Amino acid sequence: MKAFDYAAPTTLEDAVKLLDGPGSVALSGGTDLISRMKDYVTSPERVVYLKDVKSLAGISGDAAAGFTIGAGARLSDIAANRALAEAYPALHQATVEIGSVQIRNMATLGGNLLQRPRCWYFRAGNGLLAMKDGKSLVKAGDNRFHAIFMTDGDALFVSPSSLAVALAALGATVTVAGPKAERTFKIEELYQAPKRPDESEHTITHGEILTKVTIPAGAGKNASYEARHKQAQDWPLVLASVNLGMNGETVSSARIFVYGVAPIPWKSTTAEAEIVGKRITPETAAAAGEAAAKGSAPLSMNAYKVPLLKTVVKRAILAAVGNRYWEV
Amino acid sequence: MTEHDPKGRGAPGGASRREFLRGSGVAAATAVLTGQATAILDEAQAAAQDSGPKILKGEVELTLKVNGHDHACTVEPRSTLLDTLRDRLDITGPKRVCDRASCGACTAIVDGEPVYSCTTLAVSCQGKTIETLESFDTGEHGVPHAFCKDDGLMCGYCTPGFVTACKAFLDKNPNPTLEEVRKGIDGNICRCGTYVGVLQAALDAAKAMKGA
Repeated sequence: MKAFDYAAPTTLEDAVKLLDGPGSVALSGGTDLISRMKDYVTSPERVVYLKDVKSLAGISGDAAAGFTIGAGARLSDIAANRALAEAYPALHQATVEIGSVQIRNMATLGGNLLQRPRCWYFRAGNGLLAMKDGKSLVKAGDNRFHAIFMTDGDALFVSPSSLAVALAALGATVTVAGPKAERTFKIEELYQAPKRPDESEHTITHGEILTKVTIPAGAGKNASYEARHKQAQDWPLVLASVNLGMNGETVSSARIFVYGVAPIPWKSTTAEAEIVGKRITPETAAAAGEAAAKGSAPLSMNAYKVPLLKTVVKRAILAAVGNRYWEV
Repeated sequence: MTEHDPKGRGAPGGASRREFLRGSGVAAATAVLTGQATAILDEAQAAAQDSGPKILKGEVELTLKVNGHDHACTVEPRSTLLDTLRDRLDITGPKRVCDRASCGACTAIVDGEPVYSCTTLAVSCQGKTIETLESFDTGEHGVPHAFCKDDGLMCGYCTPGFVTACKAFLDKNPNPTLEEVRKGIDGNICRCGTYVGVLQAALDAAKAMKGA
C-alpha cells in the first residue's frame, strides 16, 4: 500500500479537524479499508484512526427508551449485549453472522455501515459503476453476486452492510458530525445509488464522521433471516429484516428491508403491503415473500436470488413471531 | 542473535532472511535520513501551528508489548502488526498467508481478543498487550500439545493461527461444546481440511487446561 500520514486523535473535535481536507480517510477496525489500501483501490494521503476517540464507542439505553450505539462500538460488543439482543433480535441475528470472531473483534458499527461495496469489478479498480468503453463490465461479465433490483441503472453492486438493513427495519437514525452542524437522519438516507462515476454510494460528504446510531423504543416483532453460501467468513447472499407492529393477532404496520438485492438497503414495499392487515401464518408469510420478488429484474447470472429472496422474507416474518419451522 | 530471542535459538547460524532484511533496513534508513530530518522539521512547524494530535509520517519509533516484553522498533504508519512482528521483531509465529483478513493464519491476541494482525496497523497497537503463540504453554496442559496429540495439522501452515484462535477462545469459554468450538474458531481456514483434528484438539485442550 502507499505510504500515508497517520494521526490518532482522542476527541471528536480533533478527528473532524484532521479529516478536513482532500485525501483524508477515517480508519476504525480496518477490516475493509486496509485491504482496499493494499490493493490500491483506496490510497489516502492521511489516515485518521478513530478507535482512540472513546466518545464514539459505547452502547447506552434500554428497551423503554431505545438504544444509542456509538459508531465505534465493535460488532463483538453489539453481539454480546443481552439487552440489545432481547429488544432487537433483528439486529442481533444480523450481527452474530458477520465475518468471524476476529472480524467482529476488530470491526465497528460505523465501519460496517460505511464499508465499500464488495463488487469485484470495483475491488479490481474499475470504479463503482464498473464501466469500460461505455459498457458495463457487470452486465457483460460475472454478476452472480450483484443486484436484482434497480438493474436498469448503472450501479449494479449490492449495498454491503447487513446491519444497515436490520437497523432500517428497526427505524434507526444516524448522527453525523463534521465541519458544519451535526445532523441526524434516517439510516436508509445514508445510502444512494450513484448515477455518475464521481458519485458515492454514501450521502455523507467528505470530512463528515458517523458518530452514532439511535434505535427508537417500541420495536414490533422483529427478526432477520439470511441465506448464505458459506457458514463463516462470508457475506449473506440475501438477508431480510422485518419489524412488524401488531394489533392483537393482526399486523398493523410493517418495515421490511432486504440485503443483497440492490445497490441500497432495499425497502420491500410490496412485501410490506402484502402482510399488513393479515394474521401471520405460513401462507401469509409465503405470500409476502412472493410479493417481495415483484419488480425484480435479475442479471445474466443471478436469477437464483429471486427464490432466495422469497424464502428469506417468508422466514424472517415467521421468525419474528417465533415460528422457526426449518430448525425442527 | 541479540538478547531478544523469542524462540530460544541462540545458536549461531548463517544470516537469516530476516536478519538480512533488518540489515538492509539500516542502510535504507541512513539513505533517507535527510528526508526524515525534513519530515521532522515539517512536523515541528505543524506542531507549532496547532497543538492538536501528533501526525506521524515517514519512520515512526514504536514500542510494542509482545509476550510480556517491551520491544522497540522502527516502522512506518502503513506497517501492519503482522509484518512488524515477523520482519522487525523476529516473532514469526503469526503467518502471512492471505494478508486480507480472510484466512486467520496471522491471528494474534491483542488486549485479550483474537484479531487478524495482517489488517491491524502496528502504530495503533502502542500501549496494548500483544500475545502470540510463542508465549503459550507447550506442556501437556497447553493447546499446542493437544494439536500434536490429536494430529490437528497436515501441512502446518494454518496451525499457529488455529492454536492462537483456540487459546483465545478457550480462555473465555473453558467448557465448550463441539458446536461452540466450530463457531468460536470459524475465522481460520485449513486448506488441507484437517478440521476434525483441530476440533478434537480444541475439545481436548479445554480438558487439559483445567489440569494446569
